[in-house]
Amino acid sequence: MDRLKGYGKILFFVGIPLVPLLAFWFIPMFVSLWLSTTDWDYISPEFNHVMLENYQTILTSGNFYAALKNTAFFSVMTVIPTIIFGLVFAALLKKVMKGSTLFKSLLFSPWITPMVAMSIVWTWIFQPDVGLLNQILGWFHLPQPSWLTDSNTAMWAIIIVTIWKNAGWAMLFYADALSKIPNELYEVGKMEGTSWWQNSKYITIPLVSPTTLFLVIISLIDAIQAYDQIQVMTQGGPAGSTRTLLYLYYQMAFEQFNMGQATALSTIIVILTGVLAFLLFYTSKKWVHY
Amino acid sequence: MQQTFNRSKSVFRYAFLIVFSLMMVFPLIWMILSSLKTTEEIFAVPITLFPETLQWGNFSGALEMAPFWLYMFNSAFTSICIVILQVVLSSMIAYALTQLKFKGKSLLFNSILITYMLPAAATYVPSYILLSKMGLLDSLTGIVVSNVASVFTIFLLRQAFMQVPKEMIEAARSEGANDFAVLTKVMIPMCKSTIFIAGLIGFVSMYNNYLWPSLIVKSEDKYLITVGLNRFFTNVGSFADTWPFIMAANVLTVVPLLLLFVLLNKWFIKGISDSGLKG
Repeated sequence: MDRLKGYGKILFFVGIPLVPLLAFWFIPMFVSLWLSTTDWDYISPEFNHVMLENYQTILTSGNFYAALKNTAFFSVMTVIPTIIFGLVFAALLKKVMKGSTLFKSLLFSPWITPMVAMSIVWTWIFQPDVGLLNQILGWFHLPQPSWLTDSNTAMWAIIIVTIWKNAGWAMLFYADALSKIPNELYEVGKMEGTSWWQNSKYITIPLVSPTTLFLVIISLIDAIQAYDQIQVMTQGGPAGSTRTLLYLYYQMAFEQFNMGQATALSTIIVILTGVLAFLLFYTSKKWVHY
Repeated sequence: MQQTFNRSKSVFRYAFLIVFSLMMVFPLIWMILSSLKTTEEIFAVPITLFPETLQWGNFSGALEMAPFWLYMFNSAFTSICIVILQVVLSSMIAYALTQLKFKGKSLLFNSILITYMLPAAATYVPSYILLSKMGLLDSLTGIVVSNVASVFTIFLLRQAFMQVPKEMIEAARSEGANDFAVLTKVMIPMCKSTIFIAGLIGFVSMYNNYLWPSLIVKSEDKYLITVGLNRFFTNVGSFADTWPFIMAANVLTVVPLLLLFVLLNKWFIKGISDSGLKG
């Protein structure tokens, strides 16, 4: 009887929440893997098993490598500046007495806003002739690129928006980490007459390195999944210059309904993310100080 | 000497902070200013910062062109349903993970952990097929049902439940409380603030969610605000004279979130830095 009650209890507390978790997370992962070995087109009821053909097609297509390059460029160019800005903001805030909550809120506010709405605003700011950014650049007699319509600059525009939205988010984690560094460490530094740069290099940066690792991993996963800003601002163009792996996946799956190749690509994205996260954890022993 | 040095340092600090803050907030200010300009003002070269007279008509104009109130209602309604279900389901499983013993517990936890790290996009094709089999494509129910499992909320609540003092749980048990009572009378009240934060972050991310909902809803009366806004932008964005209306629609979309942030900014700031699962 007690045992039966025990089963009932588990069935209630684990079983019920497990249903959506299985239906929309765990099982789809495996179904996706299975679909990637078929040539299903979503519409016809029939399909063939093609084994690894989809992977072969993807790994020999120029589109894939172009998208891979775009994804790598986008990820590096958003993750690193996001983290640096986050740390700089937090460091500036640390010694501020008055108004630190206000500054924190202002710096963080972009994170709250919907990416879709703000991408539309940024599209307007990036307009070549009448947009705010080029007018400001004009005042300083700087070159005024055509941003979203030029394949050389479109990715930079997407990167700027992404950093703008996430830097304040990274700041919050660094602010928390900095507040936990004991002040005595800096006092010792002061007595020894260390410079600002030495303080940062030997005290601040090593002591916040666990936060840095966390932020690198989370923002990297985020960067690989970036979609909204690309969809609103460029739809992957011009000339595929902002088409990332995830965007290519979206086009294959939900524009061309080439489910076999799309799921094969999603498997590649998953493996890539997993390998990167593993590598970061693995190498982190060298640069993260707990 | 030291003092003047310190003072000039702090002036620098404030100067930088003011410049950075302005840069971060400026797109929002620019959006609001643009939404109140005429077409001529919005296209003026050189730029005019402030509108001559505030064009409140842009808002009624935008609302006539597309049913933004309906889109916002759809978003708010689905987000609230999702958040409530997420919190209920996640607190149940978090309770099991922290208080109950069962086979496969660590397998379950590790699966959740891995899921947290993997791109959600990998689930989209099968989830889409599942929703279509259930007849839930192009419905708000479909959006709610497919979003109720939140790995993030499970993590946050598990973390919070682990902090509840054992003595309190044992005291409740010795008074004859069953698991359901322990969860609802001890765990949930003790972790109120974490639950509130999880709900808040869940609400914002669902209101802002775009990719997945854009695949599911196809008819206009079911659009979420993000879907409706982008559809509006792609439909009218090529006509120069519609930019003030687009900006007004943007303001309508963003302002509820900004108000929420102004009201609850301490919760957001504290909640997000606490949600980083340390190490």
